[in-house]
Amino acid sequence: MKQEGLKFFTDTYLTSLGLLIFFLFFVGVLIWVYRKNSSKIYHRMEQLPLTDGDSV
Amino acid sequence: MIWAGAAFLFGLIAALQLAYWPMNANLEWITFGRLRPLHTNAAIFAFAGNAIFAGIYHSSQRLLKTRMFSDVLSKMHFWGWQLIILSAAITLPLGYTQSKEYAELEWPIDIAITVVWVIFAVNFFGTIRQRREKHMYVAIWFYIATIITVAVLHIVNSIEIPVGMLQSYPVYAGIQDALVQWWYGHNAVAFFLTTPFLGLMYYYIPKAANRPVYSYRLSIVHFWSLVFIYIWAGPHHLLYTSLPEWAQTLGMIFSVMLWAPSWGGMINGLLTLKGSWHLLRTEPLIKFFVAALTFYGMSTFEGPLLSIKSVSALGHYTDWIVGHVHAGALGWNGFLSFGMIYYLVPRLWKTELYSKKLLENHFWISLTGVLLYYISMVVAGITQGLMWRAVTPEGQLVYPDFIETVVRIVPLYWVRALGGGLFIIGFMMMAYNIYKTIRKAPKAVEQTSYEVQRTGFDEQTQDTHRKLEGMGFTFSVLAFLAIIVGSVIEIYPTLSLHKYVNPANIVEPHTPLEIAGRDIYIREGCYVCHSQQIRPIASEVLRYGNASTVEESMYDRPFQWGSKRTGPDLARLGKKYPNLWHYSHMIDPRAVTPKSIMPSYPWLVEKNTDFLVLRKKLSVMNKLGVPYDSEVVANADIHAQKQAQEIAADLESNGAPKGLAKKEIVALIAYLQSLGQKGKAQ
Repeated sequence: MKQEGLKFFTDTYLTSLGLLIFFLFFVGVLIWVYRKNSSKIYHRMEQLPLTDGDSV
Repeated sequence: MIWAGAAFLFGLIAALQLAYWPMNANLEWITFGRLRPLHTNAAIFAFAGNAIFAGIYHSSQRLLKTRMFSDVLSKMHFWGWQLIILSAAITLPLGYTQSKEYAELEWPIDIAITVVWVIFAVNFFGTIRQRREKHMYVAIWFYIATIITVAVLHIVNSIEIPVGMLQSYPVYAGIQDALVQWWYGHNAVAFFLTTPFLGLMYYYIPKAANRPVYSYRLSIVHFWSLVFIYIWAGPHHLLYTSLPEWAQTLGMIFSVMLWAPSWGGMINGLLTLKGSWHLLRTEPLIKFFVAALTFYGMSTFEGPLLSIKSVSALGHYTDWIVGHVHAGALGWNGFLSFGMIYYLVPRLWKTELYSKKLLENHFWISLTGVLLYYISMVVAGITQGLMWRAVTPEGQLVYPDFIETVVRIVPLYWVRALGGGLFIIGFMMMAYNIYKTIRKAPKAVEQTSYEVQRTGFDEQTQDTHRKLEGMGFTFSVLAFLAIIVGSVIEIYPTLSLHKYVNPANIVEPHTPLEIAGRDIYIREGCYVCHSQQIRPIASEVLRYGNASTVEESMYDRPFQWGSKRTGPDLARLGKKYPNLWHYSHMIDPRAVTPKSIMPSYPWLVEKNTDFLVLRKKLSVMNKLGVPYDSEVVANADIHAQKQAQEIAADLESNGAPKGLAKKEIVALIAYLQSLGQKGKAQ
């Protein structure tokens, strides 16, 4: 019965596709974030909450 | 905070009910099955929800350097949300439920939620549009992802066809419904209890410590990986069920991958405090943030662990999961909210906190409470899990009676209730502290508004990354795409259900009376304690019978697979016991199972089954594709009454009172007796 059921479960390509999509996406984000010359921007960005104009 | 108090109180009562069954008080409105959804909804949507909104409204205005888009929308959002909470608090105890965890509310309230959420979204995106600060700080990203994803989740999961004013059947059935529900359920945790709180963390921790976040780069990687991965992980709630294997594997892999971004976020938060640890002495509220992050780290370590198939086989259906959830909810969401409240209230009312000493006490008492709760539940869960699976060398169950495994953990339920009690005491200290703080505040505070310069808009953008962070709309679309890819692949098996159904095993749909009984089963929240899904694990097959198949639940709307076994599984219950056994079991569970902790359901013998509404119910089912004869639909009530007479006659001949045919108990018995009896290949 279980074997019979399992033969319907043939969509493994979706699993691999999911993993592939994610991996490419992740590498993309990494490259993007750790590009050269971006330090200055990030330095400014991280100060945003601290420079929000009022003490409240 | 009122809702938080309510949520904690309901939780405590529910905990006591498990430890001591007479706490159910024979009252239908507060029986565990109805109280538990009320507790979870109050905790997630009332307490956490309001904390999130408060934090988002406060921090966005400061990060975007502008006032909210529209005060009217803000007010509508606030009051609308409170009304939704109120209607939930009324309908759930009355038994109006869809029996889908964290989505129990019935269709009119679902529509109201959608409307209010859209109001919130318009207000928020309007604010982004008129911002004076071009750069969107990472907290804003988390808020955007939250708003978009919750909208998608809520709408997709709530597609249903109304049967009456307060009842509906979902368009999905069986594995479809289970998967959509857990895609929703898991991501309610992700996008209601995680991403908004992470956004709050990225704002309030740097504020409280007065230093920038440890690594802004890390926070970006954190954001994108979290948003992208989380959405795939839902199927880990359905490991070893009749969900297709590849979908289970997908859910498991992505859950394990979640380890990395979650810990990245936690480390980022904790390292922000690097060099500010002395603040713990002068600004004790930071303790709450540190504890919250620690609990976040712990829960997100445990989550992927639990979604590994072999660990899930042990932990699933046990109290381990309950412990895990509460470490997250009380430790992470609770402590972060408390820290935020302690930070906000004195500043908003322009005064000092009434008592730091009280805050310290709140912290330590609550921490002890959470730890007691967590440890007792994990111990209970593992104990029970191991007892369920214990098999002798001869291949027999060591503990064949389910009740043995329950009796063993009841003392731990008391420890849990004690932990919950401590948490509430701590919370009351906070309530008092905040009340005194507000009382102390100067009465008339002049409204000051700040003129802020528009910044960032004139800068030359040098590269694409900068542009992206400046474009609210494009950014939102990208975030939407990130969640939708995972969703589509995950939901694919539900849309192609026919591929997984073996035509040789097609089952019969439920009879009209069984449908009536099923709706009572749902109303009483039986699914909260009883599962209907036997996993293909040796000990379970020994205990309950053949493993569940896709076909068995193919017409079940909503699915009733359950997520916790406080009582035994019911998937093969039908015809196992005589009707009278079921009758006694509902009226006085201790009569058939001594030491049982199940509540009594005396009102089932008093209330009448609504036979007339069955025509409508069956016709809706028919529309949804359940193959009923048109004759059965048209005469549903007559068919049901006939079957009810037979069961009542059987009950009577075995010594039960006369004239039960019209009563709800008979319909419920009909349903229970049909479980596991429908398939051709049993």
